[in-house]
Amino acid sequence: MKTSLQNSVRNGVVFGVVIVFLALIGFLVIAASLLQKMVGNPVGLTSMPSAASLLVFLGFLHLWNGWRVSHNKEDIDTNVPLKTRILRGLTAGVTTGLFLLVYALVVGTINERGVDMRVYLSMLSSQSIDFFLFNQSPLVGGLIQFGFSAAAAVVGAVLAKFADSGKDKVKSIQKAAVAWSDKSWLGKVKTNPYVSYVLIGVVLLLLVLVPRQWGAYWNYIMGTVGIYVLLGLGLNIIVGLSGQLVLGYVAFFAIGAYSFALVTAPDPHNLQFNFWIALVIAVLVSALSGVLIGLPILRLRGDYLAIVTLGFGEIIRILLKSDWLKDFTLGPRGLRNIAGPTLFGREFIGDIDFMYLIILAVLLALFIARRVQDSTVGRAWLAISQDETVAQATGVDTYKYKLLALAIGAAFAGLGGALFASRNQFTGPEDHVLMVSINVLCLVIVGGMGSIPGVVLGAFALKGLPEILRELESYRLLVFGALLVVMMILRPEGLWPAKRPNLEVKQPPPEPETDTRPAAIGGGS
Amino acid sequence: MMLEVNDLNVYYGAIHALKGVSFQLKEGEIVALIGANGAGKSTSLKAVSSLVKVRSGEIFYRGEPLTTVPPQDVVKKGIIHVPEGRKIFPRMSVVENLEMGAYVHDNRDAFETDMEAMFERFPRLRERRKQSGGTLSGGEQQMLAIARGLMAHPQLLLLDEPSMGLAPIIVEQIFDIIRDINKQGTTILLVEQNAQMALSIADRGYVLETGRVVLEGKADDLMENPVVQEAYLGGH
Repeated sequence: MKTSLQNSVRNGVVFGVVIVFLALIGFLVIAASLLQKMVGNPVGLTSMPSAASLLVFLGFLHLWNGWRVSHNKEDIDTNVPLKTRILRGLTAGVTTGLFLLVYALVVGTINERGVDMRVYLSMLSSQSIDFFLFNQSPLVGGLIQFGFSAAAAVVGAVLAKFADSGKDKVKSIQKAAVAWSDKSWLGKVKTNPYVSYVLIGVVLLLLVLVPRQWGAYWNYIMGTVGIYVLLGLGLNIIVGLSGQLVLGYVAFFAIGAYSFALVTAPDPHNLQFNFWIALVIAVLVSALSGVLIGLPILRLRGDYLAIVTLGFGEIIRILLKSDWLKDFTLGPRGLRNIAGPTLFGREFIGDIDFMYLIILAVLLALFIARRVQDSTVGRAWLAISQDETVAQATGVDTYKYKLLALAIGAAFAGLGGALFASRNQFTGPEDHVLMVSINVLCLVIVGGMGSIPGVVLGAFALKGLPEILRELESYRLLVFGALLVVMMILRPEGLWPAKRPNLEVKQPPPEPETDTRPAAIGGGS
Repeated sequence: MMLEVNDLNVYYGAIHALKGVSFQLKEGEIVALIGANGAGKSTSLKAVSSLVKVRSGEIFYRGEPLTTVPPQDVVKKGIIHVPEGRKIFPRMSVVENLEMGAYVHDNRDAFETDMEAMFERFPRLRERRKQSGGTLSGGEQQMLAIARGLMAHPQLLLLDEPSMGLAPIIVEQIFDIIRDINKQGTTILLVEQNAQMALSIADRGYVLETGRVVLEGKADDLMENPVVQEAYLGGH
C-alpha cells in the first residue's frame, strides 16, 4: 500500500515537471492550436487558442497520469479494487496539481508585476501566461489547474479499472475473430500464394499514382527519403550484414555525386555526358573507390576501422573543398548546372518524373539487396559479422567478402549521390558533411540492423517524420527526439528487426556448466 | 610424413611467440602439444592453418609447402582448425553452423547425409538443431564446434583446447569422441593444457615452454617422465 502510493506521487511529480516544462517553453500554446486546427477551427495569427483546447490537451495528460498509477507492476493481478485505484489516481493528480498551482502562482505574480519573461524564456509571453491561467488571477487560475488535474487523474484511474476488466472479454472476442477468419474465406485469402502478388501490384499502383497527387513539395521530401533508402540499403550491407563499422560512408555519396557532376556539368570540364552514361560512371567509380579504400583498411577491425573510415569521410570532403583541387572540382563553390535525366531525347526534369526515377532506383536496390542477402555471399557476411576468425577457419575468404560488401555498399551510395546531384542540379562540399554518415547509420540502427524493411522504415522515420512534424514549428526537434527515445524503449532492436527464418525463439541454456576444470592443470605452480 | 613443421618463428608485434618450433605428424596419429599458458601451443596451430603470419620456418603438408597458402585454401586441402573457446557462430542455428562447416564443399546431397552422421554422433545437437548457437551449453557448443569441423571432411583435424571450461564428465565425453574420430581415419593434432587427458589418448606428444619444444616422445614415455609429471601432471 505504501509503495503504491509512493509510486503515485513519483508519477505525479514526473507529470508535473513535464507539464511545467511544456508551459515554460510555450509548447502548450502550440499543442492547443494544433488541436483546434484538427477540429477545423484554426487560430488566428495574433490570437490565442481557446481555453477548451488547452483543457483537452492537458486532460489527456492527466488521464494518462491517473491511468498509469491505477494499476502498477507491484500488483499481482489486474483485480485492484476501485477504492484503491481512486486513491492512487487522486494522489498522482494532486501531486501534479501542486506543481501546476505553484507554477501558476510564481509565474502569474511575476507577470502581474509587469516583468517581461521573454527576456529569459523567449516563448513565455504575457499572453501565454494568461492563457495558462484561463485569464484569471494567478490564484484562481492555479486552483482551476489544480482541481482539473486531480479530477482528470481520478477519472483516468477509474477508466483503467474498466479497461482492465474489459481486457479478458476483448481477448476472448479477438480469439473468436481470429478463429472465424481462419475458417471463412479470409483464411483462404491468407494462405493463397497469389495474395502477395496482388499486394505487390497494389503497392506498385500506389507508387505510380501517388506522386501525381502529391505536389512538388511532397515529391521533394519523399525523393529525399528515397535517396536515404538507397544510402541505408548500402550501409546496411556494410554494417548490418558484414558487420564492418564504417563511419565515413558519406565519402561514397560524395564520390558518386561529384563523378556524376564532373562528367555532366558544363563547368569546369564541359564533358556534358548523357544522363544514363553518367549515372553508370558514377556507380562504377563509387564501387571502385570502395574497393580501393577497402584494400588497405579492411585489415583493421572494430574501433580502428571506425576511426579510420571516419577520417576518410572528412578527407574526401576537405579535398573537394581544397585549393589544391580547385581547377578540377571548383573548390567550395561547388558544381552547377548538373544534367537532369533525359529519355529518347526528351528531357524530364519535373518533380513527378524524378520521383519515378528515384522509385525505380529504390526498387532495383531493394531487389539486389534482397538477392545478395539470401545468397551464399549473404551467409558468408553473416559468418564474418559474428566471428571473423572462425569464419576464416571454416574456409570463408573474409577479405574478399568484406571488399565485396564495401563495393556494393559504395555503389548504392554512388547511385544515391548521382541522383541527389542531378535532382538539385548542384552539388558542393557542404552536401557531404559528416552528418550524412551519422544520419544514415542512425536510420539503419533505428530500422533494425541487417533488416531491409527496417531500412525503409528507418528512412521514413528519420527523414520523413521531421517534415511531417514541421507543423510543430520550432518544437520539431524536441518532439522528434522524444519519439526516438520512445522508439528505442519500445523497440530496442529497431522498428523492424531482422528475422532469421530457421531460428527458434531463444531459450535459456538448459544445463549450466561451470568452469570446473580438472585440478591437474594448475599443478605446475 | 603427413605434416612437417620445421624451425617455425612467429611474432606478435615485438613478442617472439614461437622460437624455432619443429614437430611432425604421421598419417593416422594423435599428437598432443602440451604446455602452460603462453607456451605457444595455440600459435603453432594457427600457424599451420595460416591464421597467423609465419616470419620464418617451413610447414609441409604431404610434401607441399603450406606457409604461404591463405587460410581458406588450407581448409580446402582438408586441414580443419577448431579454434579454442568453443567458437561457434552464436546467432546462427545449429544447422546453420553445420552448413558453415561444409562451406568449402557446397554439395547439398552430401550435406544431408553428413549432417545426419553428426546427429548420430552428437544426439544432443539433434534436439537443439533449430536453436541459436549462443544459447547452447558449454559442452554442446564444444560438440557443435567439433561437428562443424567434421562437416568439412578433415584429413587433419586441429583441435585447440577442447576441454577448456568444461565439467570433467563432459571432458571425458569429448575425449572419447576425439579418439573415435581418430579411429575412423582422421589424423589429429591436439593442443591441451589438460596434459593428463591429452597424453592418455595421444600416440606422441611435444612439450612446449615459452615458444620452444623442450621435450618430445611417445605419450606413455612423457607420462612417466619426472619433469613432465612435476610440471604438468600435478606431481603425482
